[in-house]
Amino acid sequence: MIELQNVTKRYPGNREALTHLNLTIEQGEMAFLTGPSGAGKSTLLKLIAAIERPTRGQVFINRKNITRIPKRKVPALRRHMGVVFQDHHLLHDRNVFDNVSLPLQIAGFAQVDINRRVRAALDKVALLDKEQMMPITLSGGEQQRVGIARAVVHKPAILLADEPTGNLDPELSAEIMRLFNDFNQVGVTVLIASHDLDLIERMNKRIIRLRAGECIDSQSPLDAQNFEIHN
Amino acid sequence: MVKARHQQPLARPSFKTRFRAYVRDHVRVLLFSLGKLYRTPFATTFTLLMIAVALALPACLYVLLNNLQTVTHKWDDVGQISLFLQTDTSEPALKQLKATITKHEQVENVNYISADLALSEFKNRSEFGDLLEGLPINPLPPTLVVTPIDSAKRSDTLNKLKKEFQSLANVEQVQLDMQWLQRLQAITDIIRRAITAIGIMLGLSVLLVVGNSIRLDIENRRAEIEVTKLIGATDRFIRRPFLYGGMWFGLLGGILALFLVFIVLLVIRQPAQDLVSLYNSDFKLMLPSFIQSISLIGSSIFLGLFGSWLAVGHRIAKIQPS
Repeated sequence: MIELQNVTKRYPGNREALTHLNLTIEQGEMAFLTGPSGAGKSTLLKLIAAIERPTRGQVFINRKNITRIPKRKVPALRRHMGVVFQDHHLLHDRNVFDNVSLPLQIAGFAQVDINRRVRAALDKVALLDKEQMMPITLSGGEQQRVGIARAVVHKPAILLADEPTGNLDPELSAEIMRLFNDFNQVGVTVLIASHDLDLIERMNKRIIRLRAGECIDSQSPLDAQNFEIHN
Repeated sequence: MVKARHQQPLARPSFKTRFRAYVRDHVRVLLFSLGKLYRTPFATTFTLLMIAVALALPACLYVLLNNLQTVTHKWDDVGQISLFLQTDTSEPALKQLKATITKHEQVENVNYISADLALSEFKNRSEFGDLLEGLPINPLPPTLVVTPIDSAKRSDTLNKLKKEFQSLANVEQVQLDMQWLQRLQAITDIIRRAITAIGIMLGLSVLLVVGNSIRLDIENRRAEIEVTKLIGATDRFIRRPFLYGGMWFGLLGGILALFLVFIVLLVIRQPAQDLVSLYNSDFKLMLPSFIQSISLIGSSIFLGLFGSWLAVGHRIAKIQPS
């Protein structure tokens, strides 16, 4: 589903964010991306969402090479993905319903389908009763759930999340992770960048560890069960 | 690993559905961008007033100029053409000449002044009248005074008429008293050009005012633009509310400008009439016609749209999620 072949990303100023990285995430897989700040987690997600282009190497999404995808084809690519941010990036001049419906508006769905899908997505994140509220009136955890509803409302094949629990307490974080797990259960490929090691180890999923732009370890769930933290 | 229940991906909407969604989005954005102006009343009022003043000034001058031109048309004796005939012109030839000229489509009426009548008028009016007493014959020629129709009272048309009459039989000389008219026309030409130049400069300022407001709006919504791009919005989709915003600026600014024009004209209407009545004219200050009002608002809308289009330009394309 997601494949990176020998990818190097160098930012202006010669800072190398990723170095000769090889990585494959299968369809329907759920994986965590971890490592210290500056390890290249965000850069990796940006390459997948075509926000950044690799300096060298190739990126494939669903067997399509997106390494040099033309600008005008980027919107179509992103409509197959859902992206969740740490600070949820909701639009504050419109209510919850309108925020969640945005991907469907953009893709040109009929209003009846939009209504149905938005309610389904809000139901999934348990916010059905808040659809008319403005985002600013919601708690941090609720805002993050609105962000997740928006990321999944168009049933994307790939769900990317960059530190989705970064601002939440442990209990809310676990709840958010369970949501991601639910989406993975219905076949969505999920890739989550997080440095909350305790939490992601409990999820019993594949963990990809980056350090200084290199993949130093990639563990399947079975290994993770017996994994002990080495400092 | 077997998944419990795979979700079905959403099918891409049909062309018809997408087209209807496209129209729906236009309507939604139309109202949304108006609401956006309403939510920032101070900044909006400020921008609208700047647009209105910039447009009202040339519009007022233009209307006044048009009025000035109608005033000049009211002076009937301007642009009269005097045809001095040969003294030996026979009575039938004269009648035929008068008939020919009267039939001319650019002639309002023709007045015949016989040589005798001319002589007696000359005697009455001139202190040299006595001089003529000593002459054995009347030296004054019979004259036809031609008044052209209003639309022909332009220097180029009058000159053409003059040439035409010159070539007629029995016409000795054609005289055109239009120095005054020419001067006035030269002046109005200068004023017209000045107004056009002022109009262009102020139109440009409207462009800049709208462009700047939209540019600020884009900067304020940078984060929003990045997010919508990240969930698959095309540049056109993102550009739309800003273009509609410029359109609203133009429409509302244009209506306000028209309002200002009417206020200014109503204020100067009475004094203008007082002034003109001193010249014994029944002149009435004309307000902008319906067509002129619509053109003012139309050009304002155009300036608003064009200004926002310039501001949006490549800016939206440059903003990328980071």
